[in-house]
Amino acid sequence: MALHAEPTHAASSMPSDVQVTPVRGEAERMQFIRLPYALYKSDPHWVPPLEMERRDFLDPKKNPFFEYGELELFLARRGPDVVGRIAAIRNPRHMEIHGTKEGFFGLFECVNDAGVARTLLESAATWLRLRGMDAMLGPANLSSNQDWGLLIDGFDTPPAVMMPHNPPYYAALLEACGLTKAKDLYAYELSSSAQPPEKVVRIAEKIRVRDGVVVRPVNMKDLDAEVKRIRDIYNSAWEKNWGFVPFTDAEFDHLAKELKTVVRPELALMAEVQGEPVAFSLTVPDANQAIRAANGRLTTFGLPIGLVKLALASRRINRLRLIILGIKEGYRRRGLDAILYLDTLRTAKRLGYVGGEISWTLEDNHLVNRAIESMGAQRSKTYRVYTRAL
Amino acid sequence: MSDVFDKCRNWKDYRIAKATGLYPYFRAIEASHGATEVEIEGKRVIMVGSNNYLGLSADPRVKEAAIKATEKFGTTSSGSRLLNGTLALHEELEARLAKFLNRESAIVISTGFQTNLALASILGRHDIVFSDRQNHASLVDGIRLSFATERKFRHNDMDHLEQLLSQADPDAGKIIVTDGVFSMEGDICNLPRIVELAKHYNARVMTDDAHAMGVLGTLGRGTSEYFDLEKETDLVMGTFSKSFASLGGVLAGPFEVINYIRHKARSVIFSASMTPGSIAAALKALEIIEAEPERRARLLDIAEKMHNGFRAMGFDTGVSVTPVVPVHIGDQVKCFRFWRALHEAGVFANPVIPPAVEPGHALIRTSYMATHTDAQLDRVLDTFETIGRKLGVIPETRPSVYEPVQIARPGTRILSNRASEKWAAGSNGLLADKGGITLDQLSRMSSREVAGRLFDAVEQLTWRAANLQPEDLRKLGNAPMKLWEKRGELPGLLLEKGAHFFMRNGAHSDRN
Repeated sequence: MALHAEPTHAASSMPSDVQVTPVRGEAERMQFIRLPYALYKSDPHWVPPLEMERRDFLDPKKNPFFEYGELELFLARRGPDVVGRIAAIRNPRHMEIHGTKEGFFGLFECVNDAGVARTLLESAATWLRLRGMDAMLGPANLSSNQDWGLLIDGFDTPPAVMMPHNPPYYAALLEACGLTKAKDLYAYELSSSAQPPEKVVRIAEKIRVRDGVVVRPVNMKDLDAEVKRIRDIYNSAWEKNWGFVPFTDAEFDHLAKELKTVVRPELALMAEVQGEPVAFSLTVPDANQAIRAANGRLTTFGLPIGLVKLALASRRINRLRLIILGIKEGYRRRGLDAILYLDTLRTAKRLGYVGGEISWTLEDNHLVNRAIESMGAQRSKTYRVYTRAL
Repeated sequence: MSDVFDKCRNWKDYRIAKATGLYPYFRAIEASHGATEVEIEGKRVIMVGSNNYLGLSADPRVKEAAIKATEKFGTTSSGSRLLNGTLALHEELEARLAKFLNRESAIVISTGFQTNLALASILGRHDIVFSDRQNHASLVDGIRLSFATERKFRHNDMDHLEQLLSQADPDAGKIIVTDGVFSMEGDICNLPRIVELAKHYNARVMTDDAHAMGVLGTLGRGTSEYFDLEKETDLVMGTFSKSFASLGGVLAGPFEVINYIRHKARSVIFSASMTPGSIAAALKALEIIEAEPERRARLLDIAEKMHNGFRAMGFDTGVSVTPVVPVHIGDQVKCFRFWRALHEAGVFANPVIPPAVEPGHALIRTSYMATHTDAQLDRVLDTFETIGRKLGVIPETRPSVYEPVQIARPGTRILSNRASEKWAAGSNGLLADKGGITLDQLSRMSSREVAGRLFDAVEQLTWRAANLQPEDLRKLGNAPMKLWEKRGELPGLLLEKGAHFFMRNGAHSDRN
């Protein structure tokens, strides 16, 4: 497969030797799941997901997205070779909340060939068009509450846990198919040794005393109640964000269950003002550092080699990702975010983590971005959500 | 020694149906009251089983045109179009239809059935015809009469069609043939995708718009107008016995093609042409179709009223989004009983049983006219509700919610009712086929594949084990207890599993 060749330009018509078919049956589903393992063979920063995790992810019985969403997977073949894949996604909740007829594409992988990319995108576009949609956004895997965006800058490091990664040529492929930027998402890098400006620290401490802010770790023993509190904060905090769709209860529980295995309670912080939970931040160890050790499988020839590697590597995780920091409406612009950042930073230092990523934020969420930058964080990666009329 | 007539003498089905009084066919209509009500065996019934969509067969203007033409040209043309059977009226109708349908040329043929048979004349030995499995019998026969290869795709299954197209010889001539509106289920062909596939695989497209012409589209030109794909649809066929209140058919397309058919199709040149009365009626009907779009609007309003009326009672009207409103009954015998009860209560509808539909999906097909009055329609609905309850087709009380049907009105691009849509349900690629394999498949695998499967199974087990939650462990611990409690049900359960296993095996071999 010519991975790093120049894309073939001016492929305005579909190449006739490329066939895109919807995925039917177990064998094709596995081909869909396994394509990236071949595609990224030579990418030192790619983190191979666990095959089984991907299978569950695409299982309508296991992934709560399917309780309302619909999708169709497509595989592109040239002769016997699988050369690309895409998912067309219908998300009725997104359409309802935003009052648009936008569909999504996602799980996009493709060899460096504009013809293949075009055929894939057209297949997804047609599927969406036939279901009454007039625009598509993406890549989204599978919604804005899971990971989304195409990496367009910052290819020099591996992705943090639950963040996407892709070869640099994807942007050119999508743009050649008429997709344009809808929104950029930022990821920031913060080292544990960073010294936040003294002014920020001083003001934060002042607020803490003045407003009676209590920051406490999440109570893992009463997780169900805590998850409910967190969900309230999350859905209220993100409400007006571009592209946001509130989690369903099932989705949130699913996420909580997934995170439970990796979360360190010291880094899941709840800020309360006079006993009322008003802000929440979640930082998790970057499990990608461990997952890549397994190279996609827990077993090799039936032996639990990957599982052992995974277990050993998970002890050596030295990076974090701050996934969520949300403040309830009415408590913003009061410095609560600074308090949470500072406490997280301190705990991270204490627990021996060297640093981590804060991601993702919307490019035009200046309030949040300024706050992150004021901590001394550097923008490390840019992801782009594309759009196209159908 | 066998006699050709043996099968006729030994044919029991008819005698059984007659003896039980459940024989629903060839009912003689003795009088018609404005087409919406007819008399059968002296009984006046509301007609919801005709394809007279716009109600024009009873229109005085159409009747008068037929009478006048008969007076002027006589009762028949007495010959084939090729020789003595072409009247100026035929040519006028052809010119008008070509214009109406936005095509270079059109030919009118004595019946709709023969029109589809004429298709055979353009299908050569090396051509491939891709045809929907639920296409009308006349298309099936038209293809059968040709020497072309036929490839049938599952009803409206565009993935299957694409698969067949991609496997076909790229150099062969190809044509995709489909009903526009399917006559029994009332759904619409996926023309947008068909056209896309046709473009991609270099195939021609023909739609049989028998049930769509006069019904679909802003101007009533049928499926291709409805989807705004008239340029992309190469050939369009229509019939006069439905919206056009007459008898005959039309095929429209590029001049060379129609001209070729005119001279080569045996169903054209060896058949007497349309009678003067039929042509004149069709001509007048066309005029009215063009001048009175409100009839179409009324028809679609009626369709919506009936679909949702039936659904509100708990009936299932399937995938239909058109004035063809199938009411699902299920069992074949029950369907006959339903039909007879309807007839006795004064409603004429048609039972549709296997093989026209899948076994276990027998239905009562109803279809409507723009001239039906609301009072008539309400009576039909009431009758269905009473009988439906009596026969246990619908629950005693109306369901609190139902999925309304969105009708294929101009400007929409609906193919079929999503709520009942089996073939295009989302995530279907994921839900279908959970990956079990049959013994037969296993025996055909290489050792490498078998090992791969085995290792995958171990991987899966390891993953499940690694993800076990405390509550899962508790459940696991309770399993032996539960099994012991349910020991009485075990034989039945095993039987059921066994049946499923064999059925799946069957399904697999079916697909291959």
